[in-house]
Amino acid sequence: MSKSTPVAEELESVAIRFAGDSGDGMQLTGTQFTTTSAVFGNDISTMPDFPAEIRAPAGTLAGVSGFQVHFSSRDVLTPGDAPQVLVAMNPAALKASLPELERSGTIIVNTDAFTKQNLAKAGYKSNPLEDESLKGYQVFKVAMTSLNRTALESFDGLSNKEKDRCQNFFALGIVFWMFERPLETTKDWLFKKFAKAPQIAEANYKALQTGYFLGETTETFQQRYIVRPASLPPGTYRKVTGNEAMAMGLVTASTKMGKPLFYGTYPITPASDILHALAPLRNFDVRTFQAEDEIAAMGSVLGAAFGGALAVTGTSGPGIALKSEAMNLGVMLELPMIIINVQRGGPSTGQPTKTEQGDLLQAMYGRNGESPIAVIAPATPSDCFDIAIQAARMAIRSMSPVMILSEGFLANSAEPWLIPDADDIPAIEVKHPAGRHNGDDPFLPYKRDPETLARPWAIPGTPGLEHRLGGLAKAPETGNVSYNPQHNEQMTLERAEKIARLADFIPEQEVFGPEDAELLVVSWGGTFGVVRTAVSRSQRAGQSVAHAHLRFINPFPRNLESLLHRHPKILVPELNSGQLALLIQGKFGVKVEKFNKLQARPLQIGEMREVITQTLGKG
Amino acid sequence: MSETLTNEITLTRKDFVSDQTVRWCPGCGDYSILAQVQRVMPELGVEKEKIVFISGIGCSSRFPYYMDTYGIHSIHGRAPTLATGLAIANPDLNIWVVTGDGDGLSIGGNHLIHALRRNVNMKIILFNNRIYGLTKGQASPTSRVGKVTKSTPMGTIESPVNPISLALAAEATFVARSIDSNPQHLAEVLSKAAAHKGTAFVEVYQNCVIFNPDEWNALSDRTNRDEVTLNLEHGMPLIFGKDKDKGIRMRGFTPEVVSLADVSLDEILVHDATSKPLASILGSMENPEYPAPMGVIRDVRKPTYAAGIMEQIAQAKAKRGVGDLNKLYRNDDLWTVSAREENQSEMAGELPLTLDEEYLDELGRAAVETTPVQDQLTEENVSALNPKVPITVDAGSSLSRAIRQMNRHNIGCLIVTDEEDRLSGIFTERDVLMRVTGLVDDLAHAAIGDYMTPNPIALKADPPIAQALHLMSLHGFRHLPLVDEENRPTGVISFRDVVEYLNRSLA
Repeated sequence: MSKSTPVAEELESVAIRFAGDSGDGMQLTGTQFTTTSAVFGNDISTMPDFPAEIRAPAGTLAGVSGFQVHFSSRDVLTPGDAPQVLVAMNPAALKASLPELERSGTIIVNTDAFTKQNLAKAGYKSNPLEDESLKGYQVFKVAMTSLNRTALESFDGLSNKEKDRCQNFFALGIVFWMFERPLETTKDWLFKKFAKAPQIAEANYKALQTGYFLGETTETFQQRYIVRPASLPPGTYRKVTGNEAMAMGLVTASTKMGKPLFYGTYPITPASDILHALAPLRNFDVRTFQAEDEIAAMGSVLGAAFGGALAVTGTSGPGIALKSEAMNLGVMLELPMIIINVQRGGPSTGQPTKTEQGDLLQAMYGRNGESPIAVIAPATPSDCFDIAIQAARMAIRSMSPVMILSEGFLANSAEPWLIPDADDIPAIEVKHPAGRHNGDDPFLPYKRDPETLARPWAIPGTPGLEHRLGGLAKAPETGNVSYNPQHNEQMTLERAEKIARLADFIPEQEVFGPEDAELLVVSWGGTFGVVRTAVSRSQRAGQSVAHAHLRFINPFPRNLESLLHRHPKILVPELNSGQLALLIQGKFGVKVEKFNKLQARPLQIGEMREVITQTLGKG
Repeated sequence: MSETLTNEITLTRKDFVSDQTVRWCPGCGDYSILAQVQRVMPELGVEKEKIVFISGIGCSSRFPYYMDTYGIHSIHGRAPTLATGLAIANPDLNIWVVTGDGDGLSIGGNHLIHALRRNVNMKIILFNNRIYGLTKGQASPTSRVGKVTKSTPMGTIESPVNPISLALAAEATFVARSIDSNPQHLAEVLSKAAAHKGTAFVEVYQNCVIFNPDEWNALSDRTNRDEVTLNLEHGMPLIFGKDKDKGIRMRGFTPEVVSLADVSLDEILVHDATSKPLASILGSMENPEYPAPMGVIRDVRKPTYAAGIMEQIAQAKAKRGVGDLNKLYRNDDLWTVSAREENQSEMAGELPLTLDEEYLDELGRAAVETTPVQDQLTEENVSALNPKVPITVDAGSSLSRAIRQMNRHNIGCLIVTDEEDRLSGIFTERDVLMRVTGLVDDLAHAAIGDYMTPNPIALKADPPIAQALHLMSLHGFRHLPLVDEENRPTGVISFRDVVEYLNRSLA
């Protein structure tokens, strides 16, 4: 054992934040670390945080791109509150990320980037590496740019600029060493990615190795961490983001229906990755359609649903605003379809790359007239897979649009996914009425199934079932245009009852924690991980608290009302100003304590625990 | 199969008449268009169930209700978007879009452009009456400059859009024009549109008898219409007039009307429906300056949108095989958590399961050549180490209480148990040093469960000392819990116990 070999400290979990200019490749660096950790067997959770501008001015706070990965030897539900390690590629990255770093955390900085000019751009009056401002942190100063250039000296074909682009892999190498990660996964990826430019692959790999060896051979780093593989249930895993899981869920649903998947959409952050994941899957009979606008995307979904496909669109809040007209027609036509809203910060254009839960009431009520649709929300990135399949089943059962409320946080975050066996996923039964001949009873396009109240899904091409649908008020059964007041009331109530009856089809609400808990925390969507972790820790600290996380919001699970009355106190934490709280209060008449955050950022475990304690303490 | 292929489709006009009462104003031009569409449909050779009519909003958009086919009366301006989705979902259908100048060119202008450029297989009939009828008489995007309407009492001040020029600019593959007052011509144009593969755009001059009744008088007057319309036939010279005595020739970049008495037939333009420049010229010729061109202005073949998608699907299936979900799920870096590892952590130290291969190898080697100490370590069991009685706490215990207990019992580790007294974690003095000291402010309110090592490796029953040593050296443990068959803690051995044992043995 040489003298310089540092002590390896064993940690249960670590959160690392990679931060640099949006052009520095921080997302890539974070992704590589995540993949390697996942393959190594750690449970992981990630949160990319990048600016809306593709290339904001270099060196400025606006241009800082971050990627946080939390990996652990035990079950991880969140990307971690405060990271313990920060890799800052320039002063702006340091300044933007420092407030979130754990006190006494570790900082690895690229000293070459701490020039007068860059310090000024970040708004530093003096160099934080030289003054007292980083006191209490463990700071590792590495001249990454010059060391990296020296390491790549032999690469004659590369300009300095191209060499500097490898800097992120140099930084990654250091972190790989710190956390004892193997280099193979990243090496394989590099040589696959740059198969056509082997020199680039070589240079990046060399940078990665040099960073790793730097850690191994210099005495700069006195600390090394080991995070052992997590104990997850047996099976084969991969890492998956919410958008990837959503795309795979949709293809699974269409395959299980025996139908083509039609995905009509218009590019919008943070939903576009669903399109990117689906577009290459033509061999699954996936028919993606990039429409001229959000309105056209929704219109095309109506047409495809009429034609008998699994018809889906994906967008974010501003897109839903444009789509509401055609969604409303979907309610009137009573055709099955799925609308995915990957929520972002609002209102208006808001914060395209940030997360929020501000569109719940828009989903519930954002259409003219009485226009109920089913609303469901995934809890975790991998849950998007199950939710997509569930949405298809609900849409077909109710012959009605189903909205999935995902979130930017879920869409871009990754977690390990226990890969299911496709053969174990049950088929989704689709019934189309058979053709008719002269002399048969006339076809009644709005004759409802007595159990589900769904109308028949008769598709063009079926002889004898020719019928006209439209957005005008209709008579029952025939669906003919009717302005009869009784008809209007009957049809409106039936459409509402049809959605309400989906409650017979969805699972009952589960509660985590004791039945007699004083406080029930009720959450929905992407806050699951934080709230569950906080509740679990509060329980372990002896507090009387339970947690109900809603995946089904319209209709609510059948037993929700009795659960709400079972616990003396209800707390609803949301990343909005209290939209679920309003629904629950309005529907069930229970008193609800609210905890709301409007910072377009996920909740934090620490603050959640504080609110639980405060709520329990209230009289 | 051959039966269905050879089966003649015998339909009549009546097969396309729905049971709904037509509710347009008496004298409306829409009646004529409906009648011609119903007349043409049986001649298409298409099964009735494959025909779909889709409309937006407006007078013309009531059309689908009157056709006994599949149909959707959709929303204002959006009919092409529904038609596009339907054509992609089912490329075999024969889809018609019925729209008007307000629906198609104002609120739905964008969709019209993109449906045309994509060449989706749909026939678009645009009823142009140059007025908003259903909303009772406002100016439309095709109203002429100066038109006095309810919304423009002093006359419009906007230039109108030319639907044909717009369609050509959008790269439409089939562009034609007809008029409601000439049923024969209208039926011919609709038949040609129906035969076109791709988006066919047909502008129909249509009379709004209530709000814009005189708009097409000149073109509709039977006695004079041949003087003011130019009937286009592919390959034929552009000649018009009751006596076929006038023609169109080019003068520089401008078409001009000439008398055939003065000009040789060679100079007269010959219609070529495949020529885009000629189509642009014809599209720009507006009455009354020119005779209004009627008939097929442009007709070219390009692949349709849905055919393109289906071709890609076929290619992808040929190249990669029909999609396999299990392969899709696994198309990424994978790792496997085996049941063995799982048992290792959860079942805590069941002997055969905790022995990894490296250890077995070592045991194998040891059998060949062993020292007396090695023999002793593999023969004697951990009970010889005099394991200590475990001090257990539950996960909710506070750190301050835990540390007090460690001090009181003078021990380096606490065993954490669940409600059923089963092993759930271990908390050692090293944890105090690394995770607690200086990091946790309020020890009284921090639960040990948050700082312990969960599901620690434990020894079950009474295994050889060698195994305990191996686990300690492999993982760097200073303490190892012992558990019974139910995973309930029965003892703890520490590094110190091993040292004392060795001291005893070597003495």
